[in-house]
Amino acid sequence: MTVVPARSSEWVRPVRSQEPASAIIEIDRVSQVFQTSARKDHVALSDISLTIEEGAFVSILGPSGCGKSTLLYIVGGFVSPTSGSAKIKGHAITRPGPDRGPVFQEFALFPWKTVLGNVMYGPRQQGVRAAEAEAQSLALIEMVGLKGYESFYPKELSGGMKQRVALARTLAYHPEVLLMDEPFGALDAHTRTRLQNDLLNIWERDRKTVLFVTHSVDEAVFLSDKVVMMSKSPGRIREVIDIDLPRPRRRNELLLDPRYQKYIVDIERMFDESDEAGQAS
Amino acid sequence: MMSSATLIRRAAPVLACIGLLAVWQVASLALKNDSFPTAIDAIRAIPDILGDKESLINILASLRRMAIGFGVAVLVSIPLGLLMGRSRSVAAFFNPLLMVIYPVPKAALMPIIMLWLGVGDVTKTLVIFLGVSLPVIYHSFEGAKAVEEKMLWSGAAMGLSPARRLVRIVLPAALPEILTGCRTGLVLALITMITSEMIARQSGAGNILFNALDMGQYDTVFAMIIIVGAMGICLDAIFERVRARLVRWSEPQFDMPLSFS
Repeated sequence: MTVVPARSSEWVRPVRSQEPASAIIEIDRVSQVFQTSARKDHVALSDISLTIEEGAFVSILGPSGCGKSTLLYIVGGFVSPTSGSAKIKGHAITRPGPDRGPVFQEFALFPWKTVLGNVMYGPRQQGVRAAEAEAQSLALIEMVGLKGYESFYPKELSGGMKQRVALARTLAYHPEVLLMDEPFGALDAHTRTRLQNDLLNIWERDRKTVLFVTHSVDEAVFLSDKVVMMSKSPGRIREVIDIDLPRPRRRNELLLDPRYQKYIVDIERMFDESDEAGQAS
Repeated sequence: MMSSATLIRRAAPVLACIGLLAVWQVASLALKNDSFPTAIDAIRAIPDILGDKESLINILASLRRMAIGFGVAVLVSIPLGLLMGRSRSVAAFFNPLLMVIYPVPKAALMPIIMLWLGVGDVTKTLVIFLGVSLPVIYHSFEGAKAVEEKMLWSGAAMGLSPARRLVRIVLPAALPEILTGCRTGLVLALITMITSEMIARQSGAGNILFNALDMGQYDTVFAMIIIVGAMGICLDAIFERVRARLVRWSEPQFDMPLSFS
């Protein structure tokens, strides 16, 4: 599918997937209303419906304040929606569980545990024997490029390294869906690019379902099969765009690919349009 | 080979002590007051106290009460503080109670407690318990409140129940703050130990001190003050060692350890 810029004020609803067999996450008319400190209702999410297919890399893209992280937290079971429902494999999501593994912008590592201790935490919690958990964790640490840092504490690591540990820690308990909340948002541009490349390489191996929240258009296009564009006040889905670029993706090839550039330009133009529409009203 | 900076840093506490004693000595000689013995006289009285079996029994009895009061206070206060930090209803219930107890000098409660429980160990230990509890509860509460939400979410995603999250995430994450409270608690335990023995004079280090004061044995009074001070420094140094070991993982803190190591 190629990108067709939407008509100015028309909200394009995402079409619900017709193949329920492959749907892993179903979000059905979810709304989220917060009370602000001034006791006013703030609609963070309004009537969101979205289906995510198994094995897809889906990005949720939008300006800050559009509720994209809240949507991710609802899928994670960390936040309950005000109305509507979210389901994983047909079961209603009521609380967090090891089938959905979060990776946060803030890393949220356990600072009292070493790198190895952090990665082993999930498997140990699930009753995997120590020796086995350790062997698996060492392999994961090597996979994320941190061999030799097993006995380091989080405070001794750079931001990029911390996020690598956080990714390994989440992969260690084999979640079916990875929930990534602006995972590279706190990193410098160079580290960010390297982690994007490495994340794609890791993802190519087992193609887990990924829900990836970001405000970076090129990050979303580079990584995703599908980009869910959101607009703010209230947070709504503006457009869902399939990214039809070959995999495995290589950054140096993509940067020269006019299709990649067109996706980025089109998406940015759509955001500009909605900004202008917002200012006019 | 030690650098000169390290040498100065190591020698500084010793120099400070010698300086204090020197000032004391000079001041005492200058004032010529019977109730203010010289530093040397006070130090000379120390071996007499420590060599006396009766005095040693008294001091050990004090330390025993202090250890029990401190230990029980820590065991009760940490779980309570953590629960208050993670549950608004628990905090809403206990906060007003603690706010009422906090400003009351614990020694002021002693006469009443003595009426109920007598002048024995239970009363004194209870007063030490009260003195230690509040800072430990307060710091555990603050530590638990400050635990990053996302860290708890990460634990929840791994399948940790709320109770296990409290023990396995909130407790270790709040440990540096909890231990700060315990350190304050330890000093307060020493202070309440002496004050409790001042009010209920029956045994203990405070008993020796205030009996000597009544009898005008000022050498002994000041010797006891030195002994109590030394106990404080030693306890704090031991505690600091344990603390540093437990929270090696946390950010380096540039506080000056009160130890001679």
